[in-house]
Amino acid sequence: MLVVDNIDAAYDQVQVLFSLSLSVKRGEILCLLGRNGAGKTTTLKSIMGLVSVQKGSIKLDDQVLSDLQPHKIPAAGIAYVPQGRRLFAELSVKQNMDIGLMARGAGADTFESVLEMFPRLKERLKQRAETLSGGEQQMLAMARALCMKPRIILLDEPTEGLQPSMISLIRDVILKLKQENVAVILVEQHVDSAMKMADRVAFIEHGRNPETMTGEQLQQNPATIRKYLGVE
Amino acid sequence: MEFGPYLFIASLEGAITAAVLALTAVGLSIVFGIMRVVNVAHGEFFMLGAVIAWWVTSMITAHPALGFVAALIVAPLLVGLLAIVSDHLVLRRINYDPERTIVATIGLLYVIQQTTLMTFGPEARPVEAPFNKRIALPWFELGENGFVLTWPWGLSTTTYKLAVIAAAIVILLILWLVMSRTRLGLIMRATQLDSEMAQAHGIHVDKVYALVFGLGAGLAALGAVLIVPIQQAHYLMGGDPLLLSFIVVIIGGLGSVAGTIVAAVLIGMSDGIISVFFTPTLAKIIATLLVAFVLVFRPQGLFGKPER
Repeated sequence: MLVVDNIDAAYDQVQVLFSLSLSVKRGEILCLLGRNGAGKTTTLKSIMGLVSVQKGSIKLDDQVLSDLQPHKIPAAGIAYVPQGRRLFAELSVKQNMDIGLMARGAGADTFESVLEMFPRLKERLKQRAETLSGGEQQMLAMARALCMKPRIILLDEPTEGLQPSMISLIRDVILKLKQENVAVILVEQHVDSAMKMADRVAFIEHGRNPETMTGEQLQQNPATIRKYLGVE
Repeated sequence: MEFGPYLFIASLEGAITAAVLALTAVGLSIVFGIMRVVNVAHGEFFMLGAVIAWWVTSMITAHPALGFVAALIVAPLLVGLLAIVSDHLVLRRINYDPERTIVATIGLLYVIQQTTLMTFGPEARPVEAPFNKRIALPWFELGENGFVLTWPWGLSTTTYKLAVIAAAIVILLILWLVMSRTRLGLIMRATQLDSEMAQAHGIHVDKVYALVFGLGAGLAALGAVLIVPIQQAHYLMGGDPLLLSFIVVIIGGLGSVAGTIVAAVLIGMSDGIISVFFTPTLAKIIATLLVAFVLVFRPQGLFGKPER
Protein backbone atom coordinates (compact mmCIF):
# COMPACT_ATOMS: atom_id res chain seq x y z
CA MET A 1 0.00 0.00 0.00
CA LEU A 2 2.51 2.67 1.15
CA VAL A 3 6.08 2.16 -0.01
CA VAL A 4 8.92 4.41 1.09
CA ASP A 5 11.69 3.57 -1.31
CA ASN A 6 15.28 4.52 -0.71
CA ILE A 7 14.67 8.13 0.36
CA ASP A 8 17.11 10.84 1.42
CA ALA A 9 15.51 13.69 3.34
CA ALA A 10 16.94 16.91 4.76
CA TYR A 11 16.05 20.00 6.76
CA ASP A 12 17.63 22.73 4.59
CA GLN A 13 21.26 21.62 4.34
CA VAL A 14 21.17 19.02 7.13
CA GLN A 15 20.50 15.53 5.81
CA VAL A 16 18.62 13.34 8.28
CA LEU A 17 17.46 10.28 6.31
CA PHE A 18 19.83 8.21 4.21
CA SER A 19 18.43 5.69 1.68
CA LEU A 20 15.63 4.77 4.04
CA SER A 21 13.07 2.22 2.89
CA LEU A 22 9.97 0.77 4.53
CA SER A 23 6.45 -0.26 3.65
CA VAL A 24 3.09 -0.80 5.29
CA LYS A 25 0.07 -2.76 4.10
CA ARG A 26 -3.64 -2.19 4.54
CA GLY A 27 -4.72 -3.09 8.10
CA GLU A 28 -1.13 -3.44 9.30
CA ILE A 29 0.53 -1.73 12.25
CA LEU A 30 4.15 -0.85 11.56
CA CYS A 31 6.03 0.47 14.57
CA LEU A 32 9.14 2.64 14.17
CA LEU A 33 11.62 2.22 17.00
CA GLY A 34 14.88 4.03 17.50
CA ARG A 35 16.86 6.31 19.77
CA ASN A 36 16.08 10.03 20.04
CA GLY A 37 17.24 11.83 16.91
CA ALA A 38 17.40 8.62 14.86
CA GLY A 39 15.00 10.02 12.22
CA LYS A 40 11.61 8.54 13.18
CA THR A 41 9.72 11.85 13.18
CA THR A 42 11.52 12.94 10.00
CA THR A 43 10.34 9.74 8.34
CA LEU A 44 6.72 10.61 9.16
CA LYS A 45 7.21 14.23 8.09
CA SER A 46 8.76 13.08 4.80
CA ILE A 47 5.67 10.96 4.10
CA MET A 48 3.51 14.03 4.79
CA GLY A 49 5.69 16.16 2.48
CA LEU A 50 6.66 18.46 5.36
CA VAL A 51 10.36 17.64 4.91
CA SER A 52 11.80 17.67 1.41
CA VAL A 53 12.67 14.29 -0.06
CA GLN A 54 15.78 14.70 -2.18
CA LYS A 55 16.15 11.19 -3.52
CA GLY A 56 13.99 8.10 -3.79
CA SER A 57 10.21 7.98 -3.79
CA ILE A 58 7.17 7.57 -1.57
CA LYS A 59 4.23 5.79 -3.22
CA LEU A 60 0.71 5.12 -2.05
CA ASP A 61 -0.55 2.37 -4.34
CA ASP A 62 0.26 3.86 -7.76
CA GLN A 63 0.31 7.49 -6.65
CA VAL A 64 3.75 9.07 -6.14
CA LEU A 65 3.31 11.14 -2.97
CA SER A 66 6.81 12.59 -3.05
CA ASP A 67 5.87 14.50 -6.25
CA LEU A 68 2.83 16.12 -4.63
CA GLN A 69 2.65 19.46 -2.84
CA PRO A 70 2.26 18.90 0.93
CA HIS A 71 -1.35 20.11 1.09
CA LYS A 72 -2.39 17.48 -1.48
CA ILE A 73 -1.11 14.53 0.56
CA PRO A 74 -4.01 14.40 3.09
CA ALA A 75 -6.43 14.15 0.16
CA ALA A 76 -4.68 10.91 -0.82
CA GLY A 77 -5.84 9.49 2.51
CA ILE A 78 -2.94 10.03 4.89
CA ALA A 79 -3.51 11.57 8.32
CA TYR A 80 -0.81 12.68 10.73
CA VAL A 81 -0.91 12.96 14.52
CA PRO A 82 2.31 14.78 15.40
CA GLN A 83 4.39 14.50 18.54
CA GLY A 84 3.17 17.04 21.11
CA ARG A 85 -0.31 17.04 19.48
CA ARG A 86 0.06 20.45 17.83
CA LEU A 87 -3.61 21.27 18.02
CA PHE A 88 -4.92 24.60 16.79
CA ALA A 89 -4.77 25.87 20.36
CA GLU A 90 -7.11 28.85 20.14
CA LEU A 91 -9.77 27.01 18.15
CA SER A 92 -12.51 24.99 19.81
CA VAL A 93 -12.68 21.21 19.85
CA LYS A 94 -15.37 21.35 17.15
CA GLN A 95 -13.34 23.72 14.98
CA ASN A 96 -10.25 21.49 15.26
CA MET A 97 -12.36 18.56 14.10
CA ASP A 98 -13.90 20.68 11.31
CA ILE A 99 -10.39 21.28 9.94
CA GLY A 100 -9.97 17.50 9.78
CA LEU A 101 -13.37 17.02 8.14
CA MET A 102 -12.57 19.63 5.47
CA ALA A 103 -9.38 17.85 4.40
CA ARG A 104 -11.21 15.06 2.58
CA GLY A 105 -14.72 16.45 2.49
CA ALA A 106 -16.04 14.13 5.22
CA GLY A 107 -19.47 14.83 6.62
CA ALA A 108 -21.60 14.65 9.74
CA ASP A 109 -21.60 10.83 9.83
CA THR A 110 -17.79 10.79 10.12
CA PHE A 111 -17.96 13.46 12.81
CA GLU A 112 -20.46 11.41 14.83
CA SER A 113 -18.56 8.15 14.46
CA VAL A 114 -15.32 9.81 15.61
CA LEU A 115 -17.10 11.28 18.64
CA GLU A 116 -18.33 7.78 19.52
CA MET A 117 -14.70 6.74 19.86
CA PHE A 118 -13.94 9.71 22.11
CA PRO A 119 -17.20 10.46 23.98
CA ARG A 120 -15.45 12.82 26.37
CA LEU A 121 -14.86 15.26 23.51
CA LYS A 122 -18.60 15.43 22.90
CA GLU A 123 -19.01 17.29 26.20
CA ARG A 124 -16.27 19.73 25.28
CA LEU A 125 -17.07 20.69 21.69
CA LYS A 126 -17.15 24.42 22.39
CA GLN A 127 -14.10 24.42 24.67
CA ARG A 128 -10.82 25.85 23.36
CA ALA A 129 -8.29 23.11 22.60
CA GLU A 130 -5.60 24.74 24.76
CA THR A 131 -7.81 24.41 27.87
CA LEU A 132 -8.14 20.60 27.61
CA SER A 133 -6.14 18.23 29.79
CA GLY A 134 -3.16 16.42 28.24
CA GLY A 135 -5.15 13.25 27.69
CA GLU A 136 -8.09 15.09 26.16
CA GLN A 137 -5.71 16.96 23.88
CA GLN A 138 -4.30 13.67 22.66
CA MET A 139 -7.85 12.41 22.06
CA LEU A 140 -8.57 15.55 20.05
CA ALA A 141 -5.38 15.16 18.01
CA MET A 142 -6.46 11.60 17.15
CA ALA A 143 -10.06 12.70 16.52
CA ARG A 144 -8.92 15.50 14.20
CA ALA A 145 -6.91 12.99 12.18
CA LEU A 146 -9.73 10.43 12.09
CA CYS A 147 -12.12 13.09 10.78
CA MET A 148 -10.04 12.86 7.60
CA LYS A 149 -11.27 9.26 7.07
CA PRO A 150 -7.65 8.16 6.55
CA ARG A 151 -6.43 5.06 4.74
CA ILE A 152 -3.12 5.43 6.56
CA ILE A 153 -2.55 7.15 9.87
CA LEU A 154 0.87 8.27 11.10
CA LEU A 155 1.08 8.46 14.89
CA ASP A 156 4.11 10.08 16.51
CA GLU A 157 4.36 8.96 20.15
CA PRO A 158 0.61 9.16 20.82
CA THR A 159 0.89 7.81 24.36
CA GLU A 160 3.76 10.07 25.47
CA GLY A 161 3.15 11.52 28.94
CA LEU A 162 -0.34 10.04 29.35
CA GLN A 163 -1.83 8.22 32.33
CA PRO A 164 -2.40 4.44 31.99
CA SER A 165 -6.17 4.66 31.39
CA MET A 166 -5.60 7.09 28.53
CA ILE A 167 -2.81 4.94 27.06
CA SER A 168 -5.19 2.01 27.08
CA LEU A 169 -7.89 4.05 25.29
CA ILE A 170 -5.44 5.18 22.60
CA ARG A 171 -4.27 1.58 22.09
CA ASP A 172 -7.89 0.40 21.74
CA VAL A 173 -8.47 3.02 19.07
CA ILE A 174 -5.33 1.96 17.20
CA LEU A 175 -6.45 -1.69 17.26
CA LYS A 176 -9.92 -0.66 16.09
CA LEU A 177 -8.35 1.19 13.15
CA LYS A 178 -6.43 -1.95 12.25
CA GLN A 179 -9.69 -3.91 12.25
CA GLU A 180 -11.16 -1.29 9.90
CA ASN A 181 -8.27 -1.96 7.49
CA VAL A 182 -6.52 1.34 8.15
CA ALA A 183 -2.72 1.09 7.94
CA VAL A 184 -0.92 2.52 10.98
CA ILE A 185 2.66 3.76 11.21
CA LEU A 186 3.37 4.25 14.87
CA VAL A 187 6.40 5.88 16.46
CA GLU A 188 6.60 4.48 19.96
CA GLN A 189 9.05 4.76 22.85
CA HIS A 190 7.51 1.93 24.88
CA VAL A 191 9.08 -1.24 23.51
CA ASP A 192 6.55 -3.49 25.31
CA SER A 193 3.67 -1.61 23.80
CA ALA A 194 5.24 -1.76 20.35
CA MET A 195 5.79 -5.51 20.61
CA LYS A 196 2.20 -6.10 21.71
CA MET A 197 0.50 -4.01 19.05
CA ALA A 198 2.79 -4.02 16.02
CA ASP A 199 2.59 -6.51 13.20
CA ARG A 200 6.11 -5.44 12.25
CA VAL A 201 8.76 -3.28 13.87
CA ALA A 202 11.18 -1.16 11.82
CA PHE A 203 14.30 0.05 13.59
CA ILE A 204 15.60 3.45 12.61
CA GLU A 205 19.23 4.26 13.31
CA HIS A 206 21.16 7.31 12.06
CA GLY A 207 18.46 7.95 9.45
CA ARG A 208 18.58 4.43 8.06
CA ASN A 209 16.37 1.38 8.48
CA PRO A 210 18.84 -1.45 9.04
CA GLU A 211 16.31 -4.03 10.16
CA THR A 212 12.56 -4.76 10.11
CA MET A 213 11.02 -7.73 11.92
CA THR A 214 7.69 -9.01 13.17
CA GLY A 215 6.62 -8.46 16.77
CA GLU A 216 7.15 -12.17 17.52
CA GLN A 217 10.63 -12.16 16.00
CA LEU A 218 11.47 -9.17 18.16
CA GLN A 219 10.26 -10.92 21.32
CA GLN A 220 12.58 -13.82 20.51
CA ASN A 221 15.55 -11.51 19.86
CA PRO A 222 15.95 -9.16 22.82
CA ALA A 223 19.53 -8.51 21.69
CA THR A 224 18.12 -6.49 18.79
CA ILE A 225 16.47 -4.12 21.23
CA ARG A 226 19.77 -3.71 23.10
CA LYS A 227 21.56 -3.11 19.83
CA TYR A 228 19.28 -0.35 18.50
CA LEU A 229 17.81 1.15 21.64
CA GLY A 230 20.45 0.46 24.27
CA VAL A 231 17.84 -0.89 26.73
CA GLU A 232 17.14 -4.34 28.18
CA MET B 1 -16.80 78.23 21.45
CA GLU B 2 -16.44 76.82 24.97
CA PHE B 3 -14.11 73.99 25.86
CA GLY B 4 -16.80 71.24 25.96
CA PRO B 5 -18.14 71.66 22.42
CA TYR B 6 -14.59 72.23 21.16
CA LEU B 7 -13.51 68.91 22.71
CA PHE B 8 -16.54 67.26 21.13
CA ILE B 9 -15.51 68.51 17.67
CA ALA B 10 -11.93 67.34 18.27
CA SER B 11 -13.23 63.91 19.36
CA LEU B 12 -15.29 63.63 16.17
CA GLU B 13 -12.19 64.40 14.10
CA GLY B 14 -10.36 61.78 16.18
CA ALA B 15 -13.09 59.24 15.53
CA ILE B 16 -12.67 59.70 11.77
CA THR B 17 -8.91 59.19 12.09
CA ALA B 18 -9.57 56.15 14.31
CA ALA B 19 -12.05 54.63 11.86
CA VAL B 20 -9.72 54.83 8.87
CA LEU B 21 -6.72 53.85 10.99
CA ALA B 22 -8.57 50.78 12.29
CA LEU B 23 -9.19 49.58 8.72
CA THR B 24 -5.61 50.20 7.64
CA ALA B 25 -4.01 48.75 10.78
CA VAL B 26 -6.21 45.64 10.80
CA GLY B 27 -4.93 44.96 7.27
CA LEU B 28 -1.34 45.22 8.52
CA SER B 29 -2.19 43.13 11.59
CA ILE B 30 -3.73 40.17 9.76
CA VAL B 31 -0.81 40.09 7.32
CA PHE B 32 1.63 39.95 10.22
CA GLY B 33 -0.53 37.60 12.31
CA ILE B 34 -1.08 35.01 9.61
CA MET B 35 1.99 35.37 7.39
CA ARG B 36 4.54 36.74 9.90
CA VAL B 37 5.38 39.36 7.27
CA VAL B 38 6.12 42.94 8.35
CA ASN B 39 4.73 44.73 5.32
CA VAL B 40 6.59 48.03 5.01
CA ALA B 41 4.75 48.70 1.72
CA HIS B 42 1.37 48.76 3.49
CA GLY B 43 1.20 52.58 3.40
CA GLU B 44 1.74 52.51 -0.37
CA PHE B 45 -1.25 50.21 -0.79
CA PHE B 46 -3.19 52.87 1.14
CA MET B 47 -1.86 55.59 -1.16
CA LEU B 48 -2.69 53.53 -4.26
CA GLY B 49 -6.26 53.15 -3.00
CA ALA B 50 -6.59 56.95 -2.85
CA VAL B 51 -4.97 57.45 -6.27
CA ILE B 52 -7.20 54.82 -7.90
CA ALA B 53 -10.21 56.46 -6.24
CA TRP B 54 -9.22 59.76 -7.88
CA TRP B 55 -8.73 58.00 -11.22
CA VAL B 56 -12.10 56.21 -11.07
CA THR B 57 -14.03 59.30 -9.96
CA SER B 58 -12.36 61.33 -12.77
CA MET B 59 -13.51 58.74 -15.30
CA ILE B 60 -17.09 58.46 -14.02
CA THR B 61 -18.33 62.01 -13.86
CA ALA B 62 -22.11 61.54 -14.25
CA HIS B 63 -22.68 61.90 -10.49
CA PRO B 64 -20.14 62.09 -7.63
CA ALA B 65 -21.88 59.23 -5.80
CA LEU B 66 -21.64 56.94 -8.83
CA GLY B 67 -17.91 57.48 -9.22
CA PHE B 68 -17.33 57.12 -5.49
CA VAL B 69 -19.24 53.83 -5.24
CA ALA B 70 -17.27 52.52 -8.22
CA ALA B 71 -14.05 53.60 -6.49
CA LEU B 72 -15.10 51.76 -3.31
CA ILE B 73 -15.29 48.56 -5.35
CA VAL B 74 -12.50 49.03 -7.91
CA ALA B 75 -9.73 50.43 -5.69
CA PRO B 76 -9.62 47.60 -3.07
CA LEU B 77 -9.94 44.99 -5.82
CA LEU B 78 -7.10 46.41 -7.94
CA VAL B 79 -4.85 47.02 -4.93
CA GLY B 80 -5.64 43.55 -3.56
CA LEU B 81 -4.81 42.06 -6.94
CA LEU B 82 -1.50 43.96 -7.05
CA ALA B 83 -0.71 42.63 -3.57
CA ILE B 84 -1.47 39.06 -4.66
CA VAL B 85 0.84 39.47 -7.66
CA SER B 86 3.54 40.93 -5.35
CA ASP B 87 3.11 37.97 -3.02
CA HIS B 88 3.51 35.57 -5.92
CA LEU B 89 6.48 37.34 -7.55
CA VAL B 90 8.38 38.42 -4.44
CA LEU B 91 7.34 37.09 -1.02
CA ARG B 92 6.75 33.46 -2.02
CA ARG B 93 10.10 33.34 -3.80
CA ILE B 94 11.93 34.33 -0.63
CA ASN B 95 9.90 31.75 1.31
CA TYR B 96 8.31 34.43 3.58
CA ASP B 97 11.58 34.70 5.48
CA PRO B 98 10.88 37.40 8.12
CA GLU B 99 14.07 39.42 7.59
CA ARG B 100 14.12 39.23 3.81
CA THR B 101 10.44 40.18 3.53
CA ILE B 102 11.16 43.45 5.35
CA VAL B 103 13.82 44.36 2.77
CA ALA B 104 11.60 43.13 -0.08
CA THR B 105 8.62 45.21 1.02
CA ILE B 106 10.86 48.29 1.41
CA GLY B 107 11.75 47.72 -2.25
CA LEU B 108 8.08 47.33 -3.08
CA LEU B 109 7.35 50.61 -1.27
CA TYR B 110 9.75 52.55 -3.54
CA VAL B 111 8.60 50.81 -6.71
CA ILE B 112 4.94 51.67 -6.02
CA GLN B 113 5.69 55.20 -4.80
CA GLN B 114 7.98 56.18 -7.69
CA THR B 115 5.75 54.56 -10.32
CA THR B 116 2.85 56.60 -8.92
CA LEU B 117 4.98 59.76 -9.04
CA MET B 118 5.86 59.10 -12.68
CA THR B 119 2.28 58.38 -13.74
CA PHE B 120 0.02 60.31 -11.36
CA GLY B 121 2.38 63.23 -10.79
CA PRO B 122 3.45 65.15 -7.68
CA GLU B 123 0.23 67.14 -7.24
CA ALA B 124 -2.36 66.49 -4.55
CA ARG B 125 -5.68 65.81 -6.25
CA PRO B 126 -9.12 66.11 -4.66
CA VAL B 127 -11.93 63.58 -4.82
CA GLU B 128 -15.44 64.88 -4.42
CA ALA B 129 -17.46 63.34 -1.59
CA PRO B 130 -20.65 61.56 -2.72
CA PHE B 131 -22.64 63.67 -0.27
CA ASN B 132 -21.42 66.35 2.08
CA LYS B 133 -24.18 68.15 3.91
CA ARG B 134 -23.13 70.17 6.93
CA ILE B 135 -25.17 69.39 10.02
CA ALA B 136 -25.27 71.35 13.27
CA LEU B 137 -24.66 69.31 16.41
CA PRO B 138 -26.43 69.84 19.72
CA TRP B 139 -24.73 70.46 23.05
CA PHE B 140 -26.01 70.14 26.59
CA GLU B 141 -25.50 72.88 29.13
CA LEU B 142 -26.36 72.85 32.79
CA GLY B 143 -28.79 75.71 33.40
CA GLU B 144 -30.92 76.72 36.36
CA ASN B 145 -33.61 74.19 35.33
CA GLY B 146 -31.21 71.27 34.71
CA PHE B 147 -29.69 70.29 31.34
CA VAL B 148 -30.62 72.51 28.42
CA LEU B 149 -30.16 71.58 24.75
CA THR B 150 -28.21 74.28 22.87
CA TRP B 151 -26.83 74.68 19.33
CA PRO B 152 -23.47 76.45 19.77
CA TRP B 153 -22.22 78.35 16.74
CA GLY B 154 -19.56 76.34 14.88
CA LEU B 155 -20.42 73.01 16.47
CA SER B 156 -21.05 71.04 13.31
CA THR B 157 -19.79 68.24 11.13
CA THR B 158 -20.66 66.80 7.73
CA THR B 159 -22.81 63.83 6.85
CA TYR B 160 -19.88 62.36 4.93
CA LYS B 161 -17.63 62.35 8.01
CA LEU B 162 -20.29 60.50 10.00
CA ALA B 163 -20.70 58.07 7.10
CA VAL B 164 -16.95 57.31 7.14
CA ILE B 165 -17.19 56.26 10.80
CA ALA B 166 -20.28 54.15 10.14
CA ALA B 167 -18.75 52.52 7.03
CA ALA B 168 -15.57 51.57 8.93
CA ILE B 169 -17.65 49.99 11.71
CA VAL B 170 -19.69 48.00 9.16
CA ILE B 171 -16.57 46.81 7.28
CA LEU B 172 -14.87 45.73 10.53
CA LEU B 173 -18.02 43.88 11.60
CA ILE B 174 -18.12 42.04 8.26
CA LEU B 175 -14.44 41.16 8.67
CA TRP B 176 -15.10 39.85 12.19
CA LEU B 177 -17.99 37.73 10.91
CA VAL B 178 -15.84 36.31 8.11
CA MET B 179 -12.99 35.50 10.49
CA SER B 180 -15.13 33.96 13.23
CA ARG B 181 -18.12 32.40 11.46
CA THR B 182 -17.02 31.19 8.04
CA ARG B 183 -15.02 28.28 6.68
CA LEU B 184 -12.58 30.75 5.09
CA GLY B 185 -12.03 32.42 8.45
CA LEU B 186 -11.43 29.04 10.10
CA ILE B 187 -8.83 28.19 7.46
CA MET B 188 -7.12 31.55 7.95
CA ARG B 189 -7.05 31.16 11.74
CA ALA B 190 -5.74 27.60 11.53
CA THR B 191 -2.97 28.81 9.20
CA GLN B 192 -2.15 31.60 11.65
CA LEU B 193 -1.91 29.18 14.58
CA ASP B 194 0.24 26.50 12.91
CA SER B 195 0.91 26.71 9.19
CA GLU B 196 2.70 23.35 9.02
CA MET B 197 -0.21 21.54 10.68
CA ALA B 198 -2.62 23.44 8.43
CA GLN B 199 -0.73 22.00 5.45
CA ALA B 200 -0.90 18.54 7.01
CA HIS B 201 -4.67 18.95 7.03
CA GLY B 202 -4.95 19.81 3.37
CA ILE B 203 -4.87 23.61 3.60
CA HIS B 204 -3.07 25.23 0.65
CA VAL B 205 -1.03 27.64 2.78
CA ASP B 206 0.45 29.53 -0.19
CA LYS B 207 -3.05 30.33 -1.43
CA VAL B 208 -4.09 31.47 2.06
CA TYR B 209 -1.02 33.73 2.25
CA ALA B 210 -1.79 35.27 -1.17
CA LEU B 211 -5.39 35.87 -0.15
CA VAL B 212 -4.40 37.39 3.21
CA PHE B 213 -1.83 39.69 1.62
CA GLY B 214 -4.48 40.80 -0.89
CA LEU B 215 -7.06 41.26 1.85
CA GLY B 216 -4.67 43.30 4.01
CA ALA B 217 -3.82 45.59 1.08
CA GLY B 218 -7.49 45.80 0.09
CA LEU B 219 -8.44 46.98 3.58
CA ALA B 220 -5.79 49.70 3.42
CA ALA B 221 -7.13 50.77 0.03
CA LEU B 222 -10.68 50.81 1.35
CA GLY B 223 -9.60 53.07 4.23
CA ALA B 224 -7.94 55.39 1.72
CA VAL B 225 -11.02 55.60 -0.53
CA LEU B 226 -13.08 56.58 2.51
CA ILE B 227 -10.65 59.31 3.62
CA VAL B 228 -9.64 60.73 0.23
CA PRO B 229 -12.63 63.14 -0.07
CA ILE B 230 -11.38 64.67 3.21
CA GLN B 231 -7.60 64.52 2.62
CA GLN B 232 -6.86 64.51 -1.19
CA ALA B 233 -4.75 61.92 -3.03
CA HIS B 234 -0.99 62.40 -3.12
CA TYR B 235 1.87 60.06 -3.95
CA LEU B 236 3.54 60.61 -0.53
CA MET B 237 0.38 60.14 1.54
CA GLY B 238 1.28 56.55 2.59
CA GLY B 239 3.88 57.56 5.20
CA ASP B 240 1.58 58.66 8.02
CA PRO B 241 -0.85 55.70 7.80
CA LEU B 242 2.12 53.31 7.77
CA LEU B 243 3.67 54.88 10.89
CA LEU B 244 0.33 55.04 12.73
CA SER B 245 -0.57 51.49 11.68
CA PHE B 246 2.72 50.17 13.06
CA ILE B 247 2.11 52.11 16.29
CA VAL B 248 -1.40 50.69 16.57
CA VAL B 249 -0.38 47.11 15.75
CA ILE B 250 2.47 47.19 18.28
CA ILE B 251 0.30 48.68 21.03
CA GLY B 252 -2.63 46.36 20.29
CA GLY B 253 -0.46 43.27 20.09
CA LEU B 254 1.05 41.89 16.89
CA GLY B 255 -1.51 39.74 15.10
CA SER B 256 -4.38 40.55 17.48
CA VAL B 257 -7.27 41.99 15.45
CA ALA B 258 -9.29 42.96 18.55
CA GLY B 259 -6.22 44.61 20.11
CA THR B 260 -5.54 46.46 16.86
CA ILE B 261 -9.06 47.91 16.79
CA VAL B 262 -8.89 49.04 20.44
CA ALA B 263 -5.44 50.58 19.88
CA ALA B 264 -6.66 52.26 16.66
CA VAL B 265 -9.48 53.93 18.59
CA LEU B 266 -7.05 54.99 21.33
CA ILE B 267 -4.38 56.34 18.96
CA GLY B 268 -6.85 57.75 16.42
CA MET B 269 -8.84 59.63 19.04
CA SER B 270 -5.75 60.99 20.78
CA ASP B 271 -4.22 61.93 17.40
CA GLY B 272 -7.39 63.81 16.46
CA ILE B 273 -7.78 65.57 19.78
CA ILE B 274 -4.10 66.50 20.23
CA SER B 275 -3.91 67.68 16.61
CA VAL B 276 -6.89 70.01 17.13
CA PHE B 277 -5.73 71.43 20.48
CA PHE B 278 -1.97 71.43 19.83
CA THR B 279 -0.18 70.17 16.68
CA PRO B 280 -0.25 66.95 14.63
CA THR B 281 3.50 66.57 15.27
CA LEU B 282 2.95 66.49 19.03
CA ALA B 283 0.29 63.80 18.52
CA LYS B 284 2.81 61.64 16.61
CA ILE B 285 5.50 62.23 19.26
CA ILE B 286 3.16 61.10 22.05
CA ALA B 287 2.01 58.03 20.08
CA THR B 288 5.62 57.04 19.37
CA LEU B 289 6.50 57.49 23.06
CA LEU B 290 3.56 55.25 23.95
CA VAL B 291 4.97 52.57 21.63
CA ALA B 292 8.32 52.85 23.40
CA PHE B 293 6.61 52.33 26.78
CA VAL B 294 4.64 49.34 25.48
CA LEU B 295 7.78 47.78 24.02
CA VAL B 296 9.63 48.21 27.32
CA PHE B 297 6.89 47.18 29.76
CA ARG B 298 4.62 44.90 27.71
CA PRO B 299 6.45 43.84 24.55
CA GLN B 300 3.60 41.57 23.41
CA GLY B 301 1.26 44.59 23.29
CA LEU B 302 -1.92 45.21 25.27
CA PHE B 303 -3.82 42.25 23.81
CA GLY B 304 -1.00 40.06 22.46
CA LYS B 305 0.17 36.83 24.03
CA PRO B 306 3.78 36.45 25.12
CA GLU B 307 5.93 34.11 23.03
CA ARG B 308 6.10 30.66 24.61
